[in-house]
Amino acid sequence: MTQYLRDVYDAVVSAFKGMRITSKHLAKKPVTLQYPDERWVLPERFKGFIVNDTWRCDACLRCAKVCPVDCIYIETVGKAKDRFMYRYAIDYNKCIWCGLCTVECPTEACQHSLDYDHSLYKRQRLVHEFVTPEKPIPCHKETRLEMGYYVPNAEEEMAKLKAKKEADAKKAAEDAAAPPPADAPDEGKGD
Amino acid sequence: MQVMTDLFASIFGDSMSPTALLITGGLTMALIMSLVMALCAIVFTWLERKVAGFLQSRYGPMRVGGFHGVLQPVADMVKILGKEDIIPQDADKALFMLSPFVIFVGSLMAWAAIPFAPGFIASDLDLGLFYIFAVSSAAPAGILMAGWASNNKWALYGAARGAAQMVSYEIPLALAVIPVVMVTGSLNMNAIVEAQGGGIWNWFIFHNPFLFIGFFLYFIASIAEVNRGPFDMPETESELVAGYHTEYTGMRFAFFFLAEYANLFLVSCIATAVFLGGWQPVAGPVFAPGLVFVIKACLLVLLQMLVRWTLPRLRVDQLMHTCWKVMVPLALLCVLGSGIWMMVSGELL
Repeated sequence: MTQYLRDVYDAVVSAFKGMRITSKHLAKKPVTLQYPDERWVLPERFKGFIVNDTWRCDACLRCAKVCPVDCIYIETVGKAKDRFMYRYAIDYNKCIWCGLCTVECPTEACQHSLDYDHSLYKRQRLVHEFVTPEKPIPCHKETRLEMGYYVPNAEEEMAKLKAKKEADAKKAAEDAAAPPPADAPDEGKGD
Repeated sequence: MQVMTDLFASIFGDSMSPTALLITGGLTMALIMSLVMALCAIVFTWLERKVAGFLQSRYGPMRVGGFHGVLQPVADMVKILGKEDIIPQDADKALFMLSPFVIFVGSLMAWAAIPFAPGFIASDLDLGLFYIFAVSSAAPAGILMAGWASNNKWALYGAARGAAQMVSYEIPLALAVIPVVMVTGSLNMNAIVEAQGGGIWNWFIFHNPFLFIGFFLYFIASIAEVNRGPFDMPETESELVAGYHTEYTGMRFAFFFLAEYANLFLVSCIATAVFLGGWQPVAGPVFAPGLVFVIKACLLVLLQMLVRWTLPRLRVDQLMHTCWKVMVPLALLCVLGSGIWMMVSGELL
């Protein structure tokens, strides 16, 4: 009998306790953020969509090689000082946002952005071209210096380049002023 | 119905015979009650989702219809009307199609005796309260029909449990209301409401402590009657295995829920009429009786929603234990106690 009465008492008291807790929540402001009108403030190292700063990129191809899903498409043309990159594209359909390309990039061209919501209707539109063929990116360091693209330690390099250019110019001037003795024709060789 | 009959009499005057006035008055009241039921379903589905949301520290529907999702029920209705109407192959077609309406009608019939305002009652029966309880017993029949006609043994199982629960809880429901009948001396709903005039302390809930307990007994039993809240074992079986409305799709399914919300408002209206003074105001003269009644009933509905979203549900044996071993003895004690109180205080002379 006592157990029965105790059960009834417990049931009633616990019901009231529960109601008090939930009623308190009824009066508070909900914790929901109304996306897309309100958004969470992202931390600064948030790993969002990968973007490539083409001013910095020198087509070393490390990001394309390290990508585990091969989502970076790079195409270059030319050799040595005339080498240009005319296509740099990231296929966000494939990108797994691992960030290995950002780790590998020597010039910090490849970085995570703070973007995270790009749902589109056509999957072809998720391949983003960073470079247009009309304006290709130079790859060789000297060409980059001359065209004003990013080179690490730019001043030193510029100074070195200038020194080299002056040395070349001086040599050219010397050659023009005092031409070197003409080579003696081969005699007695290969008789 | 008096209000309606007088309205038609004032418009048409002598051109209508008393019988015609009675019939048109009655039909208009029936139409109004059906509209009230439909309105219940619309408003309370929205309110339920908002209350559930805010209780869980989130918003409910927010986008549909601009301000806090007020058009969400409309969107739900459009969605459910677009669903395919499937009838199982070996189902008992006639019973299958009939059972949602049986449940709906069981609820609609009880609306005939609810006193919204003086004169604004569809049918001023001298047996009003008794009629309401008698007619709400159509619901278990509808549930059994639904479960049997589905040709699904799990549906039948769930329906049997649901019917057993509803039938069992009708007993504490009626017993909790008997002290009120003792105090008033009549089963007429208008008389019960009018006897509670003169301010909040004249309401039957404060008449004597046994009636106070009786109100809570009635409230709990009414939640069980509507298959809601902690007593929704027959319904949730549909989430777990099957329930009596498993095989129903589209509009038929919607009918079950329409009937549930209408029933919810119905039992809240009965509670306000019988315990909380009906259309009598808290203090002062009678003003806007219909509004006062509806506001009180809505507060009770809100309380029912809070209870549903707070408490975990009872297992079916706990349900039956609560009914027969706790609520029925307590209700009988309330009847006895109320009688003794009235005898001692001199009312029963």
